[in-house]
Amino acid sequence: MPENTAPVDTQPVRTRSLRLGVAGPVGTGKSSLIALVCRELADELSLGVITNDIYTDEDARFLRSAGVLDPERIRAVETGACPHTAIRDDITANLMAVEDLEEDFAPLDVVLVESGGDNLTATFSPALVDAQIFVLDVAGGGDVARKGGPGIARADLLVVNKTDLAPYVGVDVAQMVSDGEAAREGRPVLALSREDPASRARLKAWVYEVLAAHTGGHHVPQDPGPMAPHFHAEDEDHGHDHAHDDHTHDGEHAQPRDHTHA
Amino acid sequence: MHQVTGTHPDVLLMLLADARLPTGGHTQSAGLEPALRAGMAPRDVPAYMAARLATTVRVEAGTAVVARHVALGPARAADGAPTLADVRAAWAARTPSPALRETSERLGRGYLRLLRRLWPDHPALAVLEEDLPTRGRRGALTVAGTARPAAGVPRPLVLGVLAACAGLDAVRLARLVAYDDAQTVAAASLKLEPVDPAETTTWVLAAGPDIDDVVAEVSHLTDPDHIPAHGAPLMEQWAEHHARTTERLFSA
Repeated sequence: MPENTAPVDTQPVRTRSLRLGVAGPVGTGKSSLIALVCRELADELSLGVITNDIYTDEDARFLRSAGVLDPERIRAVETGACPHTAIRDDITANLMAVEDLEEDFAPLDVVLVESGGDNLTATFSPALVDAQIFVLDVAGGGDVARKGGPGIARADLLVVNKTDLAPYVGVDVAQMVSDGEAAREGRPVLALSREDPASRARLKAWVYEVLAAHTGGHHVPQDPGPMAPHFHAEDEDHGHDHAHDDHTHDGEHAQPRDHTHA
Repeated sequence: MHQVTGTHPDVLLMLLADARLPTGGHTQSAGLEPALRAGMAPRDVPAYMAARLATTVRVEAGTAVVARHVALGPARAADGAPTLADVRAAWAARTPSPALRETSERLGRGYLRLLRRLWPDHPALAVLEEDLPTRGRRGALTVAGTARPAAGVPRPLVLGVLAACAGLDAVRLARLVAYDDAQTVAAASLKLEPVDPAETTTWVLAAGPDIDDVVAEVSHLTDPDHIPAHGAPLMEQWAEHHARTTERLFSA
């Protein structure tokens, strides 16, 4: 076969995709964001989608009907009453679904895993996804980004979605993005509207960037953590003994990324 | 490789009986949600638990016990000795509801994933791979275009192989299967028709004699033909209906 004559194809077939999680509260546009990613990338990359639904396969059916991806590449995992459990502590069903997709459509470039809509504390286990997007939307209220939480603070990308609705709900997008940036200590925040081609292009570029890091072997999945850590920006004068969790990972108090003490 | 050795069987028994075991058990109500949706009165939950212990649980426990025996392989060389494929066929013949078989195989896959990690080199796992080739192996299970597994290894059969690996005897294994079913009903009832959790716990303890009856009926079994064949047609009908229901809290 012609592709086997290419010099780079001496490697064994790669079956491990980039597994990209999409989490966030109910109704913020996780399914629509996945549809958008599929629409932008399906011609260029080999994609698969796993949806997690509490009750049924509603999200999977929405994505199949959106016509953005071969319906066979979209599969549903039913989480029962515990959407948080299925992406965080007992990821068995999701792992099996991802592994099935990777085997049936090898080689896949990216598998998108959509969490069931949960609350601000739901994040993916790094054993299930390599990177994760946390999705908020302007209609959920301009103050949500400031409220923080592990997904908002430490997901690989925070998306502020539906920016086109901002004038109708009285939200200042720039302020919401700036709140998110303050909570994230330099990690990226993306204001997104499916009506805005420039924002779609930025999302696409981010996916390619993570994919390149993953295939290059220098991407290490990060755990956003199960809960929000202390945030020091406004209380740096307190007499705390600095013995809490976000220090113990590196055992080093002088890490600027974890602090705003400086 | 993490071959488990030197862990007391009772610790492994507790591990397997623990709802926190990562095998997807939180999606299961042991048929209670289908039953309540079909109109069963919440006050009948303890009777429902007892009915399962008198019927389907005996099929499950018997399957597990015989699978354990076959996986340990004492009669493997003998002509006509039963294989795990025979055990699977016996279980399937006694589980007429496709929805219940599919649920059991989906759960079995979760346990199998754990089993392969814990005892990758155990001879009992080799028996399973030999008798049911490709069954339950990832990828080989999925019918293209659907999320439905084609066929797999039912949960009680994998539990039997797990027991063989873990050094659990047949009595403990049968009691595990029976207890787990009762406790699954009790825990699910707290989500579906909440009562004081101390109340549901008394139901499980009150089912103790019924659990012992299951153990007495199945723990000596070695032949797939002798696995009890008690049916529960109403539960099967509810399960079939539930598989096509939306907005359910539990998948089965």
